[in-house]
Amino acid sequence: MALCALARAFSALAVSSHSVSPLLISQTLPSRGLLTTASLSNIKPWKTRTKYTINPIGVKKTGGRDHTGRIRTRGIGGGHKQLYRMVDFQRLNYVPGQEPRPFQEKVIEVRYDPCRSADIALVAGDKRKRWIIATENMQEGDLITSSGHIGRMAVSAKEGDAHPLGALPVGTLINNLEFQPGKGAQYIRAAGTCGVLLRKVNGTAIVQLPSKRQIQVSETCVATVGRVSNIDHNKRIIGKAGRNRWLGIRPSSGLWKRKGGWAGRKIKPLPGLKSYVQLPSALPAPR
Amino acid sequence: MAASMVPRRMCGAGVIFHLKCGVRCLSVSAARNGKFIPPVRAEAPEIPGLEPITYADRMYYVPGLARPRNTDWDRGWSDPRYYRAPPPEQMKLFREQPAYLFHRSCRLLGGVKQALWLTKTKLNNGLPQRIMDICEDPVYQIPNHEELVHNVVANACLWHRPGDQPIREEYCPKLLQGLLHLCQKQNNKFPALSQRSLVENCRLAASWHRESSIYQVRGINGFLLSSKNPLKPVASESEIQATKEHRLESLYPLSPAIDLQEVNVYEERNDAGFRPGYPFPHPHTVFVMDPCSTRAGFLPDQLRAKMIMLAYGSALAKARNLFGEDAKVLPEPILVQSIGTDGQHFHFLVFQLNTLDLVSEDGVKNIVWMDSDQSLYSSARLVAKVKRKIVEVPAGVCGLQPETFKKFWAMYLHGAN
Repeated sequence: MALCALARAFSALAVSSHSVSPLLISQTLPSRGLLTTASLSNIKPWKTRTKYTINPIGVKKTGGRDHTGRIRTRGIGGGHKQLYRMVDFQRLNYVPGQEPRPFQEKVIEVRYDPCRSADIALVAGDKRKRWIIATENMQEGDLITSSGHIGRMAVSAKEGDAHPLGALPVGTLINNLEFQPGKGAQYIRAAGTCGVLLRKVNGTAIVQLPSKRQIQVSETCVATVGRVSNIDHNKRIIGKAGRNRWLGIRPSSGLWKRKGGWAGRKIKPLPGLKSYVQLPSALPAPR
Repeated sequence: MAASMVPRRMCGAGVIFHLKCGVRCLSVSAARNGKFIPPVRAEAPEIPGLEPITYADRMYYVPGLARPRNTDWDRGWSDPRYYRAPPPEQMKLFREQPAYLFHRSCRLLGGVKQALWLTKTKLNNGLPQRIMDICEDPVYQIPNHEELVHNVVANACLWHRPGDQPIREEYCPKLLQGLLHLCQKQNNKFPALSQRSLVENCRLAASWHRESSIYQVRGINGFLLSSKNPLKPVASESEIQATKEHRLESLYPLSPAIDLQEVNVYEERNDAGFRPGYPFPHPHTVFVMDPCSTRAGFLPDQLRAKMIMLAYGSALAKARNLFGEDAKVLPEPILVQSIGTDGQHFHFLVFQLNTLDLVSEDGVKNIVWMDSDQSLYSSARLVAKVKRKIVEVPAGVCGLQPETFKKFWAMYLHGAN
C-alpha cells in the first residue's frame, strides 16, 4: 500500500516536472543569452550632476583605476570613506542677472574637507550658498568681497577677498589663482600655500608659485588674497604606517634597490617663465 | 564619448554661456572647462520632402542611420498610474514671476531675523503681561503639577523598550502630547477649555507680497489648537502705533528669500485648512515640534523662525478670510500663539497681526513676543553617566523646571480664564 502511494507520488512529481520544463525553456529562449562578464550598465558614475549643490555627495573609490579598469596610478586604495563637497573654484561666479557688479558674501562655516588638504568655507550671498577654499584667518561671520573690476589705482584688499590680478598691488600674497580668465582656480590651492604677485607688465601679471616657478597670466585672472588655510598641514605627524592606509595611500614595494643617480641632492636651474597669455582659447583677448 | 555625457548647451558655442553664468561641468575634467568642445549632433536635421533612413527595421543601433521616432502610445483613457506631468511652462498655474515658499522643512539661514523681515514684525522679548499674570496667579495653578509633569517626562523619555534610550523622533511627540493631555484634563475646572479643538497635520496656505516678491507659507501646520472665540489683542492701540518708528534689521548680504523654495507654478491662495461653518474657526496655538534626529535637527534659532512663520501664516489666512483680500491695517488685530519644542527646550511665542500691508517698510508693523530656550528638564537618562566612579549625570529625570510647564499651561489657558 505504502509502496503504491510512493510510486504515485513520484509519478506525479515526474509529470509536473515534465509539464513545467518546456515552459521554462520557452521563457529563457528570447533572453540576451549567456553573459560572460558582469553587466557594466548598472554602474552609475557618481560625478554626473551638473547642478550645483552644497550637500555632500557620496564618492566611489577608484583604487587608482581608470575607466578601463587598469591601474593608472600606483599606491592608491582603501582608506576611510569620504564625502565630496562641490567646491566652487570660480570665485567670481556671478548670480545670473547681476553680472558686472562686485558682490559680498558671508562666511557661515569653516570646516575640514576630506578631499583636500585645505579647509573649506561655506559662504552665502543673495539666494545662494556655496563652498570655497578657506584662507588662513577666515572665520564664521566674515564678509568677503569678489570683484572683477580693474581700476586705475590698486585696491587695498583684505584677506579672503577676490580681485583680478591687475587690481592688486605688487607684492600681494595670493592663492586660488586661475590661469585663464573665467576658468576657475587651478593653482595655489593646497593647504598653507601662497603665491606672490611679482610685477604687472603690459596687461599681464607675473606670479611666483609656491614652487618658486614664475608664470605669466592675464591680468584679468582672478585670485584670492592671502594664504590658504590649514597652515600646519605639513607639520602633522603620521605616526604609523596604518595612518597612511586610512588616508588611502598604499605602501611602496619594500624591495631593496641600489641607490643610483636618482638619489641625492641635485642643483638644477629653475625652469623659465611659463606664459599662459599667448595660448589660444575661446575667450576674448586680455585687455 | 565624454562630450556626449555633457549636456548639449555646454558644448561648442555654449562655452561663453557657461563662463558667463557659471554653470559647472563636473562630468568632465576641469581642464576641459574653458575649452571649445565641438558640438556633437544628437539628432539629424529634418529636411522637408526627404524621409530619413532609420534603423527601425534592423531593430538595433546602426551608427550612420537615424534614430527611429515612435509616437507615444495613447491608451485611450487616463490612467493615474502612468500620468506624466507636462513641463512646468505648459501648466495652467505657471507664472513668470517666481514665488518663494516656506514649508515645514525649510531651515532659514537668517533665523529669526529673516522671519521678522519676511513678516514685517517687531520683536519683544519675554511673554506679554497678561499671560505672565495667568502664570503667576495661584487660582489657575494645577494642583501637584510638579509630580504630574515629572510623570509625563518619565513616560516620554524613560518608559521605553528595556535598556534603550528613546531617540528624539520618539520622545518629542510623546512629551508634547503628554503635556497637552495634562492640560486637557483640566476641562472640568475651566469649562471654556472644552470649546477647543486640536487638529493634527492641518494644511495651511497663505500668500503675501513683500517688496515686489511673492512669499507663501504652504503645507502642514503642526498641531493646531483652535477655539470658538478669538483671542483678544495683547498690544493696545498706542503700542501698535508706536511700531511705526521701528526699523527692521537688514539681512545683507543675504537675500530674505534664501532657503525658501523658489517655484514658478503656484496659486495665490489663503486657506486656513477648514471649511466655512467649522465650529472652532479661530486659530489659538500652533504647536511646532522638531522631530528630526539630534544630528539633523533644527537649530533653536531656525525653530523659532519656523514658529514665527507658521503663526504668521495661520493669522494671515484667518485675517484674509475675515477682512477680505484688500484689507490693509486690521480693525481688529489677530492673535495667534505658538509653542515649539525640540523635546527638552521650549520656545513660547505670541504673534499679533496688525497689518496686511507688507509691501512697504513704513507704517504699522506686526508684533511678536518671544520667550525662548526654556528647558523643561536638564536630563532624562535611563542609565547614570559615571566617570571615574563619580556620578556625573544621575539616572532618571533630573533638573525638572515646573516654571516652563506653568508658562505652557498659561498659554493653553489664555482666552479661557
